[in-house]
Amino acid sequence: MACAGSRKPSTPKFSVVDDAGRTVGLSGSALRVVSLAPSSTELLFAVGAGPQVVGRTTWCRYPAAALAVPVVGDGLDPNLEAVAATHPDLVVLYRSPSNGTAITQLDQLGIKSVVLRQDLLVDVARDARLLGTLTGHQVAGDSIARLLDSLSALPAAAARARVAIVVWDNPPIVIGGGSFLDELGRLAGAQNVFHDLPQASATVSLESIASRNPDFIAVVDDSSASNTPSFARRPEWRAVPAVRAGHIIHLPGTLFGRPSPRAAEAVAAYARLLNGTK
Amino acid sequence: MKNAGLVALSLIALALAVILGPTSVPLRDLIHSPIVRDLRVPRALLGLLVGGALGVSGAGLQALVRNPLADPFLMGLSGGAGLGAVGAIALHLSGPWALPLAAFLGALAAMALVYRLGLVAGATLDPRILLLAGVVVGSFAAAISTAIVSLSEAEQLRNAMLWLWGGLSGASWTTVLVMLIYLPVPLVILVASARPLDLMALGDEPAAYLGADVARVRRRVYLAASLLTAAAVAVSGVIGFVGLIVPHIGRLIWGHRHRALIPVSFLGGGILLMLSDTLARTMVAPRELPVGIVTALIGVPAFAVLLRRWVGARA
Repeated sequence: MACAGSRKPSTPKFSVVDDAGRTVGLSGSALRVVSLAPSSTELLFAVGAGPQVVGRTTWCRYPAAALAVPVVGDGLDPNLEAVAATHPDLVVLYRSPSNGTAITQLDQLGIKSVVLRQDLLVDVARDARLLGTLTGHQVAGDSIARLLDSLSALPAAAARARVAIVVWDNPPIVIGGGSFLDELGRLAGAQNVFHDLPQASATVSLESIASRNPDFIAVVDDSSASNTPSFARRPEWRAVPAVRAGHIIHLPGTLFGRPSPRAAEAVAAYARLLNGTK
Repeated sequence: MKNAGLVALSLIALALAVILGPTSVPLRDLIHSPIVRDLRVPRALLGLLVGGALGVSGAGLQALVRNPLADPFLMGLSGGAGLGAVGAIALHLSGPWALPLAAFLGALAAMALVYRLGLVAGATLDPRILLLAGVVVGSFAAAISTAIVSLSEAEQLRNAMLWLWGGLSGASWTTVLVMLIYLPVPLVILVASARPLDLMALGDEPAAYLGADVARVRRRVYLAASLLTAAAVAVSGVIGFVGLIVPHIGRLIWGHRHRALIPVSFLGGGILLMLSDTLARTMVAPRELPVGIVTALIGVPAFAVLLRRWVGARA
């Protein structure tokens, strides 16, 4: 801990380019890390840097060990006073326009920050390497990255079912081809009927869900009870054959709520869910 | 002639809304297609009813407060409905009708509060206080909603906001039926107030000399117009521009007499919303635009053209 506070200008020992294209140099491994996104908190713990995490957001609840880390507030437009009070030598932020000011202000405070965009499996792989390098857990970061890279390079599994992943019912919002949930489905044999939409998610008309006629409606659901989502009881949704037939798959939120190093586990769970419902 | 044209136009808009959609359904299959029967037809009818309710509500409120800027959502109802919806989601109220019911109750609560504030000066609703109270109550409700949203996990509540921006994707035969049962009472009240509303355009005193019970008419018109808006916001969120622009278009063509203006605003609102929703569903299919954007994109240029012709004809 002796070197934690010293910030004398020296040639950086590590230098990485983050997902916003900024070059981030550190003079040594980051020992006090504040993570401002649930996905990066999970990744930090996965590479073995959990004990170095000194701050997290209210929503960073995985893994369970993360709950012992003090909360510094929200991840978007964060409370910089609370962040600075933890004396971090590295702050990890999610790449979002609402974090632009925070990044500039951290620079002015002389606190190093790294901006990550974890949207797809390749992003998680790249960021595992990056966080591994910055926290002194290069080997673990690399092996997670290789695992995820091989996973996303796998050919698509033979489609066993056609699925629409519904994230909101009114207006209907579905997962498109630009989401990791689409990737997980591709590997698990669940063909996304809205794969043709390039966005991560999009508002669509209920009529197109009905006419594309998926075998299953999938919902990302935090509740452990697999009760029917309430939209399935609305009359207009009964026009979708899968809803009428009760073909609903519940993807647990802890595993499917964000792209994570547990992608292989998620693919296996997805495939099991498809089998279990047939 | 004008009237026949308006009726014809509403039938054309209704037909287009049923024939066109993101999925191509051949004309001869139209009757048998479950998509048309269960989704398109109720959605078109709901567009007619909601657009009509908003048009009439706007016409009534503009006459009531004697302000051309009055809009069904100016009086705090959207803020109240939003708070209801956000509250329902934050409290995890589930059930297929939780959200619309909560929004409806929120709108009614805002209406009651604004009404009470409007009566501070006595039994006559003061239009200026009514407007002020509406804006204040709306901002207050919006502030509470924003506080809830910013303190909760954002995703779900951001979606609640999307719902509030308005859209007809919640349309079903059930919602159409509910509206058909609900709408006649406030509509009849407004139609019955047509003559006193005409008199009130002359000013409160002349209206009273000519036999209008100004205080009573104001209260009735405010409540009936608000009840129309509350139902509209419950089934379809906040759809802007219909209630603002349609009554003005009606006045430009049909004049200021409310006996004509109220039915014209109903059909005009219905036409604008049905056409806008057809475009919202088909322009970027399978994706969908928020219908409030399309009502503005169609309504504003239509209004500008009419205004120029009207002003030109008078000069």
